[in-house]
Amino acid sequence: MAALAEPAVSLWSPSDKLSPRIRKLRDEYFSYSSRDYFRNEVMPFTTGQPWDVVYSEHTWGVAPEVYPFMDAFKTSLLVDARTVPLQPEFWREPAIIRRALFFREVAEKHLPVQVLEGELIAGGQFNTASSRTLTKSEARKFKKMEKRYVRTLKELDSYGYGNAGATPGHLIPDYPTVLKIGFRGLREKFEALLAQAASPSHRDFLRALIICAEVPRTLAGRYARKLRELSARESDPGRRQELLRMAEICARVPEEPARNYWEALQSLWFTHILVMAAESYPGPGLSYGRFDQYLGPFYEQDLKSGALDRETAKEILESFFIKNNYVYDFQGRVGNNQGINSSFGQLITLSGMGPGGEDLTNDFTYLCLDVIEEINLLEPKPNVRLHKNTPDRLLRRVVEIVSRAQGAPFLINFDEISIRALEWIGLPKDKLWDYAPVGCLENTLQGNDRSGTVDVNINLAKAVELVLFNGRDQATGKQVGPRTGDPRQFRTFGEFFQAYEKQTLHVMEKLIGLYNLSDEIRARFEPVPYLSALVRGCETSGKDVTQGGPEFNFITMEAAALATTVDSLLAVKKLVFEEKKIGMDELIRAIAANYEGYDLLRQKLTNKAPKYGNDDPSSDELARRVSRFWSEAVTRYTSPFTGRRYRAGYLSWNYWIAYAPKTAATPDGRQRGTFLSNGVCPVNGADRHGPTAVINSVGNLNLSTIPNGSSHTISLSPSLARGREHQEKLMGLLRANVEHGSSALQINILDPETLKKAQKNPDEYKNLLVRVTGYNAYFVTLGKEIQDEIIARESHRT
Amino acid sequence: MDESSATGIVFSIQKFSTEDGPGIRTTVFLKGCPLHCPWCHNPESLSPRPELVWHALRCLGDGACLKACPEKALTRAGSVLQIDRKRCIACGICVEECPAAALEILGKKMTVTEVMAEVRKDSRYYEKSGGGVTFSGGEPTLQSEFLRELLEACRAAGLHTALDTCGQCRPETLAALLPGVNLVLFDLKTLDRDALKRFTGGQLDLILDNLRLADSRGIPIWVRVPVIPGYTDSPANIEAIARLVGSDLRHVERLDLLAFSNLCLAKYEQLGMEFALKGSPLFSPEEMLALREAAERAGAKNAVVSGPMRSNGPA
Repeated sequence: MAALAEPAVSLWSPSDKLSPRIRKLRDEYFSYSSRDYFRNEVMPFTTGQPWDVVYSEHTWGVAPEVYPFMDAFKTSLLVDARTVPLQPEFWREPAIIRRALFFREVAEKHLPVQVLEGELIAGGQFNTASSRTLTKSEARKFKKMEKRYVRTLKELDSYGYGNAGATPGHLIPDYPTVLKIGFRGLREKFEALLAQAASPSHRDFLRALIICAEVPRTLAGRYARKLRELSARESDPGRRQELLRMAEICARVPEEPARNYWEALQSLWFTHILVMAAESYPGPGLSYGRFDQYLGPFYEQDLKSGALDRETAKEILESFFIKNNYVYDFQGRVGNNQGINSSFGQLITLSGMGPGGEDLTNDFTYLCLDVIEEINLLEPKPNVRLHKNTPDRLLRRVVEIVSRAQGAPFLINFDEISIRALEWIGLPKDKLWDYAPVGCLENTLQGNDRSGTVDVNINLAKAVELVLFNGRDQATGKQVGPRTGDPRQFRTFGEFFQAYEKQTLHVMEKLIGLYNLSDEIRARFEPVPYLSALVRGCETSGKDVTQGGPEFNFITMEAAALATTVDSLLAVKKLVFEEKKIGMDELIRAIAANYEGYDLLRQKLTNKAPKYGNDDPSSDELARRVSRFWSEAVTRYTSPFTGRRYRAGYLSWNYWIAYAPKTAATPDGRQRGTFLSNGVCPVNGADRHGPTAVINSVGNLNLSTIPNGSSHTISLSPSLARGREHQEKLMGLLRANVEHGSSALQINILDPETLKKAQKNPDEYKNLLVRVTGYNAYFVTLGKEIQDEIIARESHRT
Repeated sequence: MDESSATGIVFSIQKFSTEDGPGIRTTVFLKGCPLHCPWCHNPESLSPRPELVWHALRCLGDGACLKACPEKALTRAGSVLQIDRKRCIACGICVEECPAAALEILGKKMTVTEVMAEVRKDSRYYEKSGGGVTFSGGEPTLQSEFLRELLEACRAAGLHTALDTCGQCRPETLAALLPGVNLVLFDLKTLDRDALKRFTGGQLDLILDNLRLADSRGIPIWVRVPVIPGYTDSPANIEAIARLVGSDLRHVERLDLLAFSNLCLAKYEQLGMEFALKGSPLFSPEEMLALREAAERAGAKNAVVSGPMRSNGPA
């Protein structure tokens, strides 16, 4: 009851349980404009050669909103770049060594070292645009290939097919090993391998790993010195002690194994930020894996020995959490359009099952949940794994946070459904209990898996348009796809569906060709030896993380517009072929006219055809057919240069918006420009029977062919999550999804009125977080389009 | 699984029903009611027959329905579609022809098998949440044979059942149904015999007899009081009901105080009916909590407040 009467704004703010120190650090993070003494903005570094490259388009190829600025970024970053002095012999080294040496120079001499007042985890300026250290002839080849890539990228994007690009981040480095043996231990391992390595290229590669594995010690050492300086000047005795303690910690880790909780978190943070510095890609999808599993033992040990109390542990963790948000400084000056990048997705995974299906929740899991709820920030993004044996206590806590905190961005992953699909793609069954999602909900293995996600993004609805116009793009009239025949001549829905399959394959192959090109460019010219040191398999295969070196390597094609496509096919099937209420010719003319002047027809298509999302067996069966067709087909492709194999996912990110204007009107009654459907969600408003029916429909897709995971968002009104009685009902809903549903679920507890208020008074609702297709964003920073979309989505509910 | 082809008139099957009993439920609404409570939030449930409704906001004004109607029951006055309810036989032809889904038949003839097929789709949710199926209305006991078979089919399927009744039925009818019921949601509006008769047509003695009958069978009961401004919202009424359930009856597990809702106004307009409580304000949370305290003081063990209330948040 009390929650109903509470003023809305207080729901989005951090909890008043935060200590003054943490509150101040949190506020400091939000005060981007006044914090000119500490910003994590992009720092470009060049070799000084006139042909140097510090920015590559394919890195951002999956972000269409960036295309218009790519040239500007590329030029201005190079112009602004600081020249890193290099020894003449640098240019005699092989490419992999050059990358390692350059990285070492940057991290050891150029990354700024600053400590914020009161913070407990040091390190925050890591955002680089680093030279690719190419020779003149390499640069010429690189630029030629990159040019071809950009040309194809823009072409396919303009058709509304989708996009593709070798995207960095989006993986889980082997952090637990660093905590266990330190970078010294890693170097020893690499040295031992070096002693045995036969091929010169393997030896070069191992040398590069060793060079990179020296970097954390040096950078941490610079922090240790800084901390000692600060402690000498510090007048507050308590803080002086803290600074000294932090100096000791930084003098030790990540070089040496972490011995306690504080060391572990500091070690983790240094290791993590250096990945971002090395990849020149801050944040997106660089994930921690099963955070509570590898930190829990440190926490419990320190608590037991009395070295740590819960409150201190919490403050250290909160300090760590706040630091993760500094990735956003990257876009501080440009603002964010459409909420792109507004959730970077440094994902932490909590709970989940063990090898025997037993639950692995520990005390630290609950500490993390408390911090997530109280601190109410975007990063790191939490994902909780649920399964058959999840204890009620954890489930209740999750539901409480989802219901009450509203803000806390929360992803829920379902183990059995996730694991089934990872097994289907051929990953070893006995390792799958230890999977974890990256970014938003993209399932991978930990520490040994370079399975990119959001690598290739396909708009499934485009194929429907290509069928209707016999391979032509409706807007331009260009013959872009194969001629699958004049649909007016099709006698059965079967013929229509066959044409749809052909066009889908065409779109897929175009995008795969584009990705293959970027995959090759990255593998040839942009090795990341520091990251390779942190992904198992590279050291033994002698191949970089970008070259298929890790134990597991997949490329993911993520689909948008599943439901739009399904509903379109359902409408054609029922109204054109079965009931013959609409002629194919009339339908094509109406779509060509974007339904202008065809309102009655459009109404019929909208209202008289079945829709996916209503737990209706025959509609769901067609949905399953569509889903399985492309997700099975994609696994038959491999990227030739790296040997990485393709697999499917339903993330959709923001592409359901980006490709809306580039997709003609669809036979489900949608007009050009109206958003496509996202993830495995039904078309907005098409689901009329509530969340259980939607979850059933999603489950009926049989997502075992979607190893990378499926994004499903449901929205519930706050009244459905009030009080313990209703929260138990939500627990039941989640337990049911464990058995049948998507691999990942996000629940928005929002009412449209609140959202409308937030749109009008953004200042009052600065901290209002919403979940948008697998990622989370501050509502007021989203473009008006997405805001309206979310409001519409909420308002559809009755 | 012995489901018959018995049919009834169902006006809605609501999934993820969270306000009609424990856990996640499906509520099956049966059409027809012997009472005529002025605050009824399901006016479409009153008539036992299927009824045509028109959704003004969706109407395109294309006139397909006028042409289609074989009974000439539809006419248009300006932008308003008028339904001659004496002529309309709710055949559904106009619904079929309307491209915009602006016409709808409320009340569908369904077999037990059809209802059960829908209900079973959410079995997983009932199982995981301790939920089940609730039969409501209207007054579901009006379709007693259909209901009895539905209850039977639920029992065969292992589903928990709740019966939401106003108690205005013959005791023999109720007695025949109770063996298939796991929980009774018993609507009790007022203990003022005359007021009850005048406003709703209900007979208090019959209703109380039925309440005692259910109680005597040992079936858990949730007594539900619609708290309606000017009708049932006096502390005296709430206290009297609380005293009754707290002392005389042994199996009342909970007393629900359901705050007046005005969300049904649009439905009245669609049906061409007058909503007597149009313009009445919602209760504030404080008012409802005060009533709950009154109920608890009078002996109700587990009084629970729900329903829409005025927001105290910033405007």
